[in-house]
Amino acid sequence: MNYFGLLISITTLFIIGLGFPLVIHGERIFGFLWWPYMMGTGVLLIIASLLIHVDWISALIGVLGATFVWGSTELKEQAVRAELGWYPFNPSKLRSPFESIIKKWRAPHL
Amino acid sequence: MNFIGLLAALTAFFSIWFGHVAVRKIESVSPTIWLPTLIFLVLGLIVEILSLSMVNRLWSVAFGILGITLLFEALELRRQQKRVKKGHAPANPNNPRHAKILAEHSSATILDLLKRDPIGHVISSDESTHLLSTF
Repeated sequence: MNYFGLLISITTLFIIGLGFPLVIHGERIFGFLWWPYMMGTGVLLIIASLLIHVDWISALIGVLGATFVWGSTELKEQAVRAELGWYPFNPSKLRSPFESIIKKWRAPHL
Repeated sequence: MNFIGLLAALTAFFSIWFGHVAVRKIESVSPTIWLPTLIFLVLGLIVEILSLSMVNRLWSVAFGILGITLLFEALELRRQQKRVKKGHAPANPNNPRHAKILAEHSSATILDLLKRDPIGHVISSDESTHLLSTF
């Protein structure tokens, strides 16, 4: 029996669980226009995982990166949920660097 | 270079994506909730057993993460039905189970209220309905 995958996947469940408050609070404080930064953080974490020789740390950093990338695709929909009153709406969000450029891009949604 | 993190990331991302789409679709068209829940549960357990029986760590991680997301989707089907009751996800009037939800829950709607871009301020449900027709 190889318990490695099971242990990693149970921890993965908790990391994905962290993704929910990450998206909710991230959208409330920053707004969905920070999505490229969230996606970039995820990609950097996945690249960092390539350089980690300890298997379990590499795997969990990879999963954390995937959670950030997935979360970045959820921000837009979360912004709409807050506008509908399903979540608290914060009218004074922190503006993202290069916001005017990011606005021209289509925010990802899967 | 250690590719186990990349493999874990890709497996997690694509199985979350698949699960996200599959749960919404299946919950919308399936007349029962228990049958797809049971299928996800059994598939998840089979994939977890596969993970346990793999000698190679890469395969063990890939099957492990896929299996755990399948098990999570089994739970998500019920949560998705709750969203439909609240009107947070669109009801499908052609599905008898959803038709019943539409009749019993005044909050349920056939509109997908999330299918638009954010506009930057809070809006009423009437405004939101109007806005949907412009997207």
